[in-house]
Amino acid sequence: MLLAKGISKGMDVDESMIDSINTCTTCGLCEQMCPAGAKPTDVFEELRRDLVRMGKVKGSQLELYNNTLLTGNPLGEKRSGTSFILEQRDVPKVADYVYFVGCLGSYRFREDALRTYDLIRDVGVTVLSDEVCCGSPLLRTGFDADDLIRHNLEQIEKTGAHTIIASCAGCYNTFKNDYPDRFNVVHITEFLAEHMDELGLGRLDLTVTYHDPCHLGRANRIFDAPRKLIMAVCDLKEMKTNRENARCCGGGGGVRKGYPDLSASIAKKRIMDVPDGVDNIVTCCPLCRVNLEQASDVPVIDLLDLLYIAQKEVLKAV
Amino acid sequence: MMLAKELEEILGKENVSTRMSELYCYSFDASGVEGLPDFVVRPATTEQVADVVKLADMSNIPVVARGAGSGLCGGAVPVEGGIVLDMCSMDRVLDIDIDNLQITVESGVVHEKLNKALEPYGFFFPPDPGSTAMCTIGGLMANNGSGMRCVKYGTTRNYVLDLEVVMADGRIVHTGSKTLKTASGYDLTDLMVGSEGTLGIITKAVLKVHPLPHSRSVILSSFDNTTLAGKAVVKVLSSGIIPSACEILDSTAIKAVRRFDPSVELPDVGAILMIEVDGMENAVREEAALVGKACEELASAIKVAESGTESENLWKARRLVGAAISKIDVKRTRIYVGEDIGVPIKELPGMLEYVRSLSEEFDIHIMTYGHIGDGNLHTGMAIDMLSEEELESAHAVADRIYRRAISVGGTVSAEHGVGRARAMYMELEHPTSLEVMRQIKRALDPKGILNPGKMGL
Repeated sequence: MLLAKGISKGMDVDESMIDSINTCTTCGLCEQMCPAGAKPTDVFEELRRDLVRMGKVKGSQLELYNNTLLTGNPLGEKRSGTSFILEQRDVPKVADYVYFVGCLGSYRFREDALRTYDLIRDVGVTVLSDEVCCGSPLLRTGFDADDLIRHNLEQIEKTGAHTIIASCAGCYNTFKNDYPDRFNVVHITEFLAEHMDELGLGRLDLTVTYHDPCHLGRANRIFDAPRKLIMAVCDLKEMKTNRENARCCGGGGGVRKGYPDLSASIAKKRIMDVPDGVDNIVTCCPLCRVNLEQASDVPVIDLLDLLYIAQKEVLKAV
Repeated sequence: MMLAKELEEILGKENVSTRMSELYCYSFDASGVEGLPDFVVRPATTEQVADVVKLADMSNIPVVARGAGSGLCGGAVPVEGGIVLDMCSMDRVLDIDIDNLQITVESGVVHEKLNKALEPYGFFFPPDPGSTAMCTIGGLMANNGSGMRCVKYGTTRNYVLDLEVVMADGRIVHTGSKTLKTASGYDLTDLMVGSEGTLGIITKAVLKVHPLPHSRSVILSSFDNTTLAGKAVVKVLSSGIIPSACEILDSTAIKAVRRFDPSVELPDVGAILMIEVDGMENAVREEAALVGKACEELASAIKVAESGTESENLWKARRLVGAAISKIDVKRTRIYVGEDIGVPIKELPGMLEYVRSLSEEFDIHIMTYGHIGDGNLHTGMAIDMLSEEELESAHAVADRIYRRAISVGGTVSAEHGVGRARAMYMELEHPTSLEVMRQIKRALDPKGILNPGKMGL
């Protein structure tokens, strides 16, 4: 924040300042705590846009930007979008709902993405045939994401859908707050919590803890829906810091990509919040999941995985 | 750059910084005072502090000790450049000696952590600043900070038994003893407390601790205006009750608290007094009734907090009120000037009335809150920082407040310190003794390397 003040007064920007500004995960915990109501996350995102305009960017940031523009995903994977779902499922072209899979779902956790689709498809859900990154990694690191947003919007309009269902906290936050307000946006946990009775969930002999993703919890106040789903299938023991005061996993704001050591040490600190005697850490953001996995002895799973196991439990009993 | 190398040899490369991103962040505290350091170093031991000070002495370069940087008068800002000693790495509780009623800590220990360490023993360190979650014991001692419970328990200096101090030539000295009282020699401990790093660098402290009270009760009295609240304080204190805390919040401060935490139930009135009594349960009940009786003629309503949780929520909200004023209008920022005067108890109603009249004269909102039980008033102004005119008005108001406080036998700082921000009033407040202070400074720091440019020295 002080650097923002200095730069706004014309202070020369050196490498150490770029690092300092880029190491904010945009988790918003400082904003939550500030009695004066300061909004450091907004300041940092604006400052990063200023740095990009000045051409003061790091190699890792440029790599992220170029990957996303060239391949449609920040991972730099060959563009295939949602074809793995379209090939394996009978997906309607027109529907009331669009399931926005997200880059980690499309390129890293495809099985999870298929399970998610299976959980919700009965209400009439399609996917975008050429889904590209929602734009979150670029927007959080100071770049423009207009082309990505425009591309996704055009496809959403073709489906006739009135609601986007996002299963990634970062995608949800971006659709909710950075896209034009033309359709409803719900997180998968909100949607499933409303349709819980139709999911056929069994009870599991597990005790889990829940990590609130910053961009879902603190940024968009979605705290109850994931907990409702978890408590429907097993016991929940809260982390030492939770809900609006939850610590960050360390992955957001481009920090995992640009500063992996720092990101890992933040994850390690978050793992210290895990209570004793839990079988799993549950979260509902793939980025939080991968970042916490590196620091945790307790297995980290997506909430959708937990629900899938709970469904299987019922089938086993039958 | 030679000096950087030598500092690295003392502290290790990772504990010395000349990066602009860090230097710039160390060029502020929570006041508007600015000053860019040449080096920021993070010592972990007293010996490292001593070696850094010796090097600074040989190189004739300023050394400024800094805790959490939560100061409100520029005390830890290196206004003449030099080395900033960030003491936060020296954060160990070294010994808890309940049998001797004392605790030994390094100066970088955060205040709240000190009390958390004492709690299991049923003891506490009574000075209770609003910045408890961040300020360090070193900063608290250097400014003789106090907070909300000093009406009954006194200020920080009443709890310091012995200090380990690095002097300006790098010598390491102890100032006191492990006894609860001493009549031996000059009281160097008391000299160091409140000296703002201008006479030595405090590295360790032996502090007296106090048993936690069995019971506490908070009496919330409402008034039509701050002047009536001020009169009620005089009545309460002169009736023979010594509350453990006695705080005032005016209507703006009440609004700020409610905006910050809507769950805190405060009445929508001109002013409230939060008076706490503590001790054995029966005594607390009786004293609470007496406080109510003393206030009843002047108050429009009196309420006793019903539970410990309700009391704690009230204190929690009170601690944050200084910053929460910015929540009333997002375009305005709290400016810390004229914010820490102290006046004799009897002068309180007049001082409160004077502040109200300044608010009208300058057409500027002045929030009044603070530890009114010991005559310490915090005035808070939130202004548009881009408006030169508002900034000028705020400084003019502060100047009038300072001068008025001095004229009635008060002080420009009851607990935040003088630093740079109030240095220009030292001559006025201490017309006969400032020169003695300067002589002491010259005797102990002949080269003037310790926190230069502060306290009007």
